[in-house]
Amino acid sequence: MLKYIVRRFLIFIPTLVAISLLAFVISINSPADPVEQLARSATSEGNTNSESSATEKIKNEIRERLGLDLPVFYFSVKTWADCDTLNNITSKAQRESLTGLTRQYGNWEIIQKYRITLQHFISDINSYPKDSTSAEIINDLRFTSLSMQETSDPVIIDSKMMALKTLTDSLEQQNLSHSLTTLNKSFDAVKSNSSTWLNYLPRIQLNGFNNQYHIWILGDLFTGKTRNRKGVLRGDFGNSYADNQPVINKIKQTFLYSFVLVVISIIMAYAISIPLGIYAAYKADSIFDNVSSVIIFMLFSLPSFFAGTWLLYYFANPDHFMWFPTGGVNDPAVFDENWSLWKKLMHQSPYFVLPVITYTYSSFAFTSRIMKVSILDVLGQDYIRTARAKGLSEYTVLTKHALKNAMLPMITMFANIFPAAVGGSVILETIFSIPGMGSEIYNAVVGTDIPMIVAVFTITGFLTVIGYLFSDILYAFIDPRIKYEN
Amino acid sequence: MKTSDNFSFGKYAWEQFKKKKTAYLSFYIIVSLFIVALLSPFLANHQPLFVKYKGISYFPAFSTLVNSAKIDTIQLAQGKFDVVNFNDIDWRSKNKDFVIWAPIPYSPNFTDKYNRDYTSPTDNQRYKNHEGKIDNIPFRLRHFMGTDKLGRDVAAGIVHGAKISLLVGIFSMLLAALIGIPLGAFAGYYGNSEVKVSRFQYWMTAFGLFIGLFVAFVSRSQIISSSFQESILSGTWSFLVSLFIIMVAYFLFSFLGKKLAIGSFLKKEVDVPIDAFVSRTIEILNSLPSLILIITIAAIINERSLVVLVLIIGLTSWTGIARFMRAEMLKIKELEYIQTAKVLGFSDRRIIFGHALPNGLAPVFTSVAFGIASAILTESGLSFLGIGVPDDIITWGNLLSLGREEFEASWLVIFPGLAIFVTVTAYNLIGEGLRDALDPKLKK
Repeated sequence: MLKYIVRRFLIFIPTLVAISLLAFVISINSPADPVEQLARSATSEGNTNSESSATEKIKNEIRERLGLDLPVFYFSVKTWADCDTLNNITSKAQRESLTGLTRQYGNWEIIQKYRITLQHFISDINSYPKDSTSAEIINDLRFTSLSMQETSDPVIIDSKMMALKTLTDSLEQQNLSHSLTTLNKSFDAVKSNSSTWLNYLPRIQLNGFNNQYHIWILGDLFTGKTRNRKGVLRGDFGNSYADNQPVINKIKQTFLYSFVLVVISIIMAYAISIPLGIYAAYKADSIFDNVSSVIIFMLFSLPSFFAGTWLLYYFANPDHFMWFPTGGVNDPAVFDENWSLWKKLMHQSPYFVLPVITYTYSSFAFTSRIMKVSILDVLGQDYIRTARAKGLSEYTVLTKHALKNAMLPMITMFANIFPAAVGGSVILETIFSIPGMGSEIYNAVVGTDIPMIVAVFTITGFLTVIGYLFSDILYAFIDPRIKYEN
Repeated sequence: MKTSDNFSFGKYAWEQFKKKKTAYLSFYIIVSLFIVALLSPFLANHQPLFVKYKGISYFPAFSTLVNSAKIDTIQLAQGKFDVVNFNDIDWRSKNKDFVIWAPIPYSPNFTDKYNRDYTSPTDNQRYKNHEGKIDNIPFRLRHFMGTDKLGRDVAAGIVHGAKISLLVGIFSMLLAALIGIPLGAFAGYYGNSEVKVSRFQYWMTAFGLFIGLFVAFVSRSQIISSSFQESILSGTWSFLVSLFIIMVAYFLFSFLGKKLAIGSFLKKEVDVPIDAFVSRTIEILNSLPSLILIITIAAIINERSLVVLVLIIGLTSWTGIARFMRAEMLKIKELEYIQTAKVLGFSDRRIIFGHALPNGLAPVFTSVAFGIASAILTESGLSFLGIGVPDDIITWGNLLSLGREEFEASWLVIFPGLAIFVTVTAYNLIGEGLRDALDPKLKK
């Protein structure tokens, strides 16, 4: 037994690592640039259009705080053409365009020269004296050349070159035309000196502990630097992009509502489905059995968002029955945090009636199907026939002999139902506007708040795996028929 | 039981399936849904199927299907011209000689400006008649299931939504089956110790996979992403090329490893734990709540399209199928006829795909039927939240979410909700029927 539990634990750890890796891969592959997102909220609206050094500085600070200037993982698989210091570039779009160019031409040194000439050209434009006649042209020039930094398609770069040429020609300025010619030459050099084959040679680079994954999962541990990050394992999921609050605090606030709803609904679902399953098996093939199984089947297929919306439509609608509030968890006009628990309960319970009904029926439909199948399965076994042959009453056979074994699948269900409840609650919490984990992840998705999404993803994954672990171990204790030794 | 020569399990199972009335009825519901989905452009269209207008016959519903911007010029008697623009024309207000409307004379995206703001099915519905006056709508042109805020017909949305939910259900499960069946079959058939290769070949194959993955997704990353920007089709093509490269690298290196193994150390045979790989992957995928996983991926991809939705649902829901297939394969591989086939020297591939798989497919069919039901539920749930398909595609889910905005409009909740409910129930009943029909043990 002990051996089994130890082995089960050993499987449990790589699964956790895999989930964390999956969550991390998702978080770094999001198309949104967190630096831009955070910088936009940090700087005032007025000076966002100017690429001022102040904005640049803020962006660099954010990058450093998030650890984005570091390599992604403990090791990185690169091509021989790739550059090592790409992570130092602030803008994600520019990084992507440089990677794109490298993957196309495979000559990093020459691409770097092209980048430097392009930056020189932009600073030339920026230092050009502005007067009323040329202001518009200068603006166009700057816009085109800045956008050139963010593209890697040679056709687009060439067409932008042409556009720059017509613009500088119209200015008749020797200095600018000259630096444009240099820029043009440097890009031609990129195109003519390509060494694409370098891209097909793999190279593995070790990065040590100072990498993004390590900081994400373990924080400052072993890195030798202080970034004020504790890491996911110590409960730090970073700050939300939406309001810069620690994600874990937001989750703590919201988790309780989701958890209470799930627990109440599971208890109710079990309380109804277990007696129902026993009675249906007791009266097998009776009208009660047939009718109840049809109803359960229909509930099983009934989409919970349909049922939820429909319940709201009938029971929280002044035109029909205004029995329950339309949504939320309390009435902010009268609710007071300092109320006694009893008063809070009395105030809040009407808000939970419709959500609990919707939650319960969907898990109830699921549990009672499992219950019925497993009790029928047990009833077909030899020891039940023996019990009946001994002359025991059907009631005793069912409750004393069959029930215990029929409950076994329900234990597994307990682990299964948790992720189902959290996942399903995204829709239900949105319908009933309950400020739980589900509506939190919904808001995060709508606002591309990646740390929040990844945190919910990781936490639900971890909790589920822990649930499986517990149910497996519990199983090992309860069911003597299962052999765990190899 | 018949024992004639042309007895087949398929026929027998079909007979059993037909005996179960609810499943048989559900089968016909799904078939008719398929027909509705296929014919949806002609069942719900604001362009008439046939119209005779100023002496000329048109087939607007058909011609707009081929060419959406069709403009026709009619020469009138006194040298005047009249332009018939199929995009703008409101056929309802024209004086037509003869017209055949589609059964539902509205398209899902057609906004009826005279019946805006949630016109109920029983309301007084209005239209502009051929004299240019606003009048009560004739019975034939009524919105039988009402309209939404913009004046879009709900019935038309239901008909076109059938297409979307069937597409999502079928194609995502097809993808799931394509992944789940082979993986489950290999895991079940080979187990952890059935396949033995030389140590060198094991390493070489792993190295080949690494090289393949590297070339496919690191070296070619730029090619793939730029072709995805070009179009979904060319992106998919270069993605497939990448997969092909992985396969080539795999076969090449495993062949080299087989041929080049020398010395007792390199030649020593080691087990390939195929079952462990597959089972661990399934366990990890199963430990993530599927809706959370799908929502997260949808948020990261940040592109709302049907193809992406089908891919996400398919790639996350193959585990159920693989588990059934694996369990079935574990049983089948112990059967005598498989042992016989092995003794006869049949290749593994022939045994798995030719002999074992066909016998193990029964529970997979059941699982696919239930899977379609849950894929449809997932799709409509996502559309309900507004993170599934693009806004301009009308689905049952987003019709239902429109109803949430306006509580008076009960028809926006009831009709799409019933459509989802009926379809999901039908698929679940088919699943049950298949399980009973295909599992000979349950038979009395």
